[in-house]
Amino acid sequence: MNAKVAVLVYPGTNSENETLRALLDAEVDAELVHWSNAATLANFDAYVLPGGFAYEDRIRAGAIAAHDRMTDAVIEGAQKGKMVLGICNGAQVLLEAGLVPGTGPVRRPTAAFTKNAPSGKFVCKHVYVKLNIAPQRCAITAGLPGEALIPAWAAHGEGRLAGSADHLDEISHGGHLAFVYAHADGSVDDAAVPNGSALGAAALTNSQGNVLAIMPHPERDAWTFNHPFSRDGRSGMTFFHSFAKGLKQQ
Amino acid sequence: MPNFGIIGKSEAELSAAAAGVGVALRVDELQRIAHGLGRDPTTVELYAFDAQWSEHCSYKSSRHHLRKLPTQGPDVVIGPGQDAGVVRLGEWNGERYCIVIAHESHNHPSQVVPFEGAATGVGGIVRDVLCMGAEVVAIADALRFGNVTDVESHQRYVATGVVDGISSYGNAIGVPNIAGDAYFDDGFSDNCLVNVIALGIVKEHQIIESKAPPGSEGWDIVLVGKATDASGFGGAAFSSLALDAKDAQANKSAVQVPDPFLKNVIMRASYRVFEYLREREIFAGFKDLGAGGIMGCTAEICAAGGYGAIIDLDEVVTSQEGLPPAVIAIGETQERLLWILPPHATADVLQVYNREFSLPEVSKGACARVIGAVQANKRYIMRFGKERVMDVDIDFLTGAIKDELPLANEAQASVGREPVVQAVSHPNRASRDPLFKQYDAVVRGATVIARGHAAAGVMMIPNTGLAFALSTGGNPGHAWLGAEAAAELAVHEAVLKVMSVGARPVALTDCLNFGNPKKPAHYAQLVSAIDGLARAARELNLAFVSGNVSLYNEGASGKAVPASAIVSCIGTFADFSEVLNPALQSTRSFLFLLPGDSKLDIFDALTRARAKGAVLACGYVEPGPVSLSALRMAFAQDDRSQRIGIRMERSALADRPGLLVEVQQRDLGRELFGEDATLEARTDPSGIFVGADAAFDSVSIEELLAAWRAPLAKIFG
Repeated sequence: MNAKVAVLVYPGTNSENETLRALLDAEVDAELVHWSNAATLANFDAYVLPGGFAYEDRIRAGAIAAHDRMTDAVIEGAQKGKMVLGICNGAQVLLEAGLVPGTGPVRRPTAAFTKNAPSGKFVCKHVYVKLNIAPQRCAITAGLPGEALIPAWAAHGEGRLAGSADHLDEISHGGHLAFVYAHADGSVDDAAVPNGSALGAAALTNSQGNVLAIMPHPERDAWTFNHPFSRDGRSGMTFFHSFAKGLKQQ
Repeated sequence: MPNFGIIGKSEAELSAAAAGVGVALRVDELQRIAHGLGRDPTTVELYAFDAQWSEHCSYKSSRHHLRKLPTQGPDVVIGPGQDAGVVRLGEWNGERYCIVIAHESHNHPSQVVPFEGAATGVGGIVRDVLCMGAEVVAIADALRFGNVTDVESHQRYVATGVVDGISSYGNAIGVPNIAGDAYFDDGFSDNCLVNVIALGIVKEHQIIESKAPPGSEGWDIVLVGKATDASGFGGAAFSSLALDAKDAQANKSAVQVPDPFLKNVIMRASYRVFEYLREREIFAGFKDLGAGGIMGCTAEICAAGGYGAIIDLDEVVTSQEGLPPAVIAIGETQERLLWILPPHATADVLQVYNREFSLPEVSKGACARVIGAVQANKRYIMRFGKERVMDVDIDFLTGAIKDELPLANEAQASVGREPVVQAVSHPNRASRDPLFKQYDAVVRGATVIARGHAAAGVMMIPNTGLAFALSTGGNPGHAWLGAEAAAELAVHEAVLKVMSVGARPVALTDCLNFGNPKKPAHYAQLVSAIDGLARAARELNLAFVSGNVSLYNEGASGKAVPASAIVSCIGTFADFSEVLNPALQSTRSFLFLLPGDSKLDIFDALTRARAKGAVLACGYVEPGPVSLSALRMAFAQDDRSQRIGIRMERSALADRPGLLVEVQQRDLGRELFGEDATLEARTDPSGIFVGADAAFDSVSIEELLAAWRAPLAKIFG
């Protein structure tokens, strides 16, 4: 039987439809699960938390949603080894829930995606992210080639990884730094980072490698019509194909 | 409840009494109300007429002139008059898809409280499109600010607040902001312009109209959304009053409070209700609450169907105790919509909003609730407690009133000449990216060209082959040409922008932003701008499908904003692969100018040229030095790619908008586009810009790019 994936809709989520579309196009058996149906979440094999502004980003992006009853099911599933992917606001929720980098107790975050620097403002910008870990380190990236370069759109006001020096050390040395921001040619420098993120971090994974939190949106550059003039043939769809592959091996 | 005494009062007494209660109605209008009712109005009735008969709701001084605009065409499904216009996009799998579009201003509120004013502008326009049964897929905005270069200036506070407001609202509801423009001019120092546009998609047979359906006598009137509060009371009347700095504080209570979080949920819940009604083939009416609040919405939706209504104000959930009935009835609390539903469907619809999408849990007091019923007779009745606080003929309340105001020679209103600025770093030529990047242009995952990457935004309709382009026009730098010529140019600007990305223009919208119509010179500008719009639209065989008029855009000094007819254009594609790129493609190519007033049918010529594979790139040409438009095509190249150089062949000044087309072979230009096309520049691999005039130094494109990007980054950061 096919693994079933829930795409979670919190009050304030806004990217559920395109995230679902990308998963379906990658031949993943996925459906939307709405906050009023939180009780059904236990029946799913993997969870995807899409972008948006869950609970209005009150306190800090993801802070309230991390304590929602839908997130109870996500935490329980992650601890059982189910695959969990958070994109943008979903990534913020996973950090606030302490699932990623997962080096502390649940719901006691050791790092957060917080206000962009130096502008402090929302930024909508096309970016590339580069795989910074061995593909097999994380179930969701296992289907990608080493140093894979994925096009995506950064579209967030709070995407800057922040944490204490110790915790950031833990992230970079513990193999948690899954993707970093890069240029179109794969080179990496500060100019490629749209938000001042520590370590140039675009995505983090947990110790078990079954949970991935990625800030930019590969699903917004996933279809040919999203990049009509692109000459390099790269597509955010690659990322979702890798997710699908990981799911089969789960 | 005491009535507002009109009968037997002198003109001076009436004038003072109206001003004393914050009512903008004129003495003759008050007398007309008393005459029509046969008695003095109640307080609720007084404020109801004040709202309905304001310029904002009634278009009393512009409606008869607006009739000059063409509004019909083969692709037009619904023209102006409803909350939004509807135009055909195309067919896919036997289904006819339509674009729903609405265009409005939120100028006055944005000047007083920029963040909230601009945010609620977006909120309102989104509801206008939603209530036609459409899924809202794009927004756009045209912004006009005063001089923002001074750090401490109020104009900078207004500009940054407006951009923040649009960004925080639009981003949160998950509708991409794909098109628009922004200009800076001293003429907007006392009054910024914030024009907002929303666009939705609906299948033609699934359009929901903003009127009580035939046979809806006795049907439920259901209010959906935020609990009613005291915000936004007097908003409609407030927009009809000229702004005075010392009144700004008092006016703040008239501005609505935005809640994009609740709106996000209401939109999704409403999409579910659309599905439910379609499955059961239930016809209903749906309308947005805007000016005039519950009263304005219920009266207009019932009057449009030829019915009356009875509303029970005690059924309206309020977020504070003791609100007077006039505030509950007319206040403009945001995030509310209204359904006319057959009683057998009401319980299911309430269940969707109140349980499945749990509105009461999402926002305190938010819900869907029955507040009244459609009546067969044409009375509009409101009850509050044991009293009947309103009982009027519905057509008298909502019917067209008309002001014939005197016109002056328009020449008197000319507003001075902008010097021709050659530098790319002038705020009006510099990159708008620092503003636009704060707007989410790509949520929904259907964006083809994001805002700022070309002269028009382009979006795809997922799971179909259909796509559309959206642009705005109305450069305030043309105002000195006179309102008529500037309006005409605004149409051509918007249309050419849509063509520049390869789309076929199919319809227009407009928002007319002018001064005080009671001043003959300002009124003359409005009327001649309409003539300009009408002429350009007829020439191009395009219809206006939606629009709005914003008057009294003047400060305490009495100086009005530059005449601003702002136009948007929708274009369609048979296939997204027809999308054209403004970025230069070749280091050995030729740039030909196609002037907008060419006798040639530009879209046809472009299509023929593309069929031959001759067009590499296409850019929009703004009036002014053509070299600056050529440079923008160089700037559009991806970062870090090899910069293409430009060598100008002539120092031309475009006096009208046009297109700049990149072709591979020199002979092709004239061959494809005829005698009107002129060779303006050639490209080379140098990465350097060389002017045609020997006095003009050559500069590296990289350096010009930095100069182009810097000015607004310092301000909007």
